[in-house]
Amino acid sequence: MTAPILHLIRSDLPETASNADHFGIVRQPSDLGGCTLSVWEYFQQNWISIVNDAIRHANLTIGVIAIAVVIGVGIGLMTYTQPALASLATSTTSAFLTIPSLALLGILIGPFGLGTVPVVVALVLYALLPITRNTIVGLRGVDPAVVGAAQGMGVGRGRLIYQVKFPLAWPVVLSGIRVSTQMIIGIATIGAYVKGPGLGNQIFGGLGRFGAANSLNQVLIGTVGVMLLALLFDLVYVVIGRVTTSRGIRGN
Amino acid sequence: MSGDPVTGQVLPERGRYHGAALTVAGRLAANWRALVLRPVIVALAMLVLYLVVNSQTLDPIEARTLTMSAILTELREHIVLSGVSAVLTVAIAIPLGIALTRPHLRWLRPIGLGLGNLGQAIPSIGLIVLLALVIGIGFWTAVIALVAYSALSVLRNTIAGLEAVDRTVIESAHGMGMSRLGVLFRVELPLSVPVILAGVRTALVLTVASAVLGTFIDAGGLGGGLVVGLSLNRPLVSITYGVIVAALALLVDWLALIIEEVLRPHGI
Repeated sequence: MTAPILHLIRSDLPETASNADHFGIVRQPSDLGGCTLSVWEYFQQNWISIVNDAIRHANLTIGVIAIAVVIGVGIGLMTYTQPALASLATSTTSAFLTIPSLALLGILIGPFGLGTVPVVVALVLYALLPITRNTIVGLRGVDPAVVGAAQGMGVGRGRLIYQVKFPLAWPVVLSGIRVSTQMIIGIATIGAYVKGPGLGNQIFGGLGRFGAANSLNQVLIGTVGVMLLALLFDLVYVVIGRVTTSRGIRGN
Repeated sequence: MSGDPVTGQVLPERGRYHGAALTVAGRLAANWRALVLRPVIVALAMLVLYLVVNSQTLDPIEARTLTMSAILTELREHIVLSGVSAVLTVAIAIPLGIALTRPHLRWLRPIGLGLGNLGQAIPSIGLIVLLALVIGIGFWTAVIALVAYSALSVLRNTIAGLEAVDRTVIESAHGMGMSRLGVLFRVELPLSVPVILAGVRTALVLTVASAVLGTFIDAGGLGGGLVVGLSLNRPLVSITYGVIVAALALLVDWLALIIEEVLRPHGI
């Protein structure tokens, strides 16, 4: 009895549905029937918007980390020789990290409005601490004897940093970048609340339809997606670590 | 202090944990500038916030959400929510950490830590909403999510702290005729207090921060005002609540720092 009626309702839909797909808008055809799909069925029907969100989540993470690496490593390079400045840099960046993400986003809405910009600013501020701190720690940990040997060979200040100290400190710096990345992937989820990109949109989408058909599927897929993304990035870092670590210290 | 042999340039290492056997007062005095600065900055921020909000003409929505009583109600809810969660976190994670380092349970440790690591990879908002969908909304759901989320840092640090205790010290304690419990409470735990407390501090800050999300599942807290400001497009409201939450987190972190300094045993 119900099947023809359903069919009638759905026959009106194809055009809008394909448009929705095209623009990456979440649609739940199953809601029309009021029945709940399995997670896998849900994914099959909505994979375009889910994969779209995952790609934007990854893009956001890469962009934020790139900016944070430039700023964080820069701060580290400028401050590591002066203890007072170095401790100021680490205490300031750790204060950023103490501020709850939704609060920081709420504050940044004032100057930046809704969208990607406040999310990027907030995430960069969060990503700074591990990168800055590890840059400082890594550069300080370089064996003074090695530095002395380089200087004895007539290596100047600039080359000393770029060819001797930084390559030796790189594994430590990279582990800071890795920690930042893992953190940023998680926090970026909250960004969806201020119209930022990423898988958080699936979670907040499910929250917005709380208890409706497939809301659990949507939240579950968003959450597991974030975890998978974090895992994927971590694997990439293992490869990056292998490739970029100087040959002389790779054995360690 | 390590000197650069060629240039003679001194590269001092930050001496916070290197200074041996300072008294509590001595350690506090050594860090007093950092410790005093934090509440002063927070107080100044609160003052500026108060003056700014007072100088604005408020529309009805802003006027309703920016009253002192509305803010204090949410602040109280926030403190209760994070306080209950933090106490439960410590009450669950420290005994669990102790249990997982006992010889006959040690084989469980990789499983415990693995589950914990997995738990921390879950985004906090995802965990809270999932739990709410499965077991319903409300205060206790938020507490469960917050405990599950922050227990790992305490658990991991408890295990790390206990494992780092020198085996020879434990053996000599046994040799002196101390019982297993005696060794645990009078040797192992005091020696691992700094590491455990560092974990508790991380957990506290994490809990206060994540408690903001409690408002999404009707558990109250300062997230309420933030969400009102964001969803009704009143930047003044979201900024005000955002600054208050940030100040609360910074103060809790500061308080935990002081507790850490005071509770650290004299020998280390």
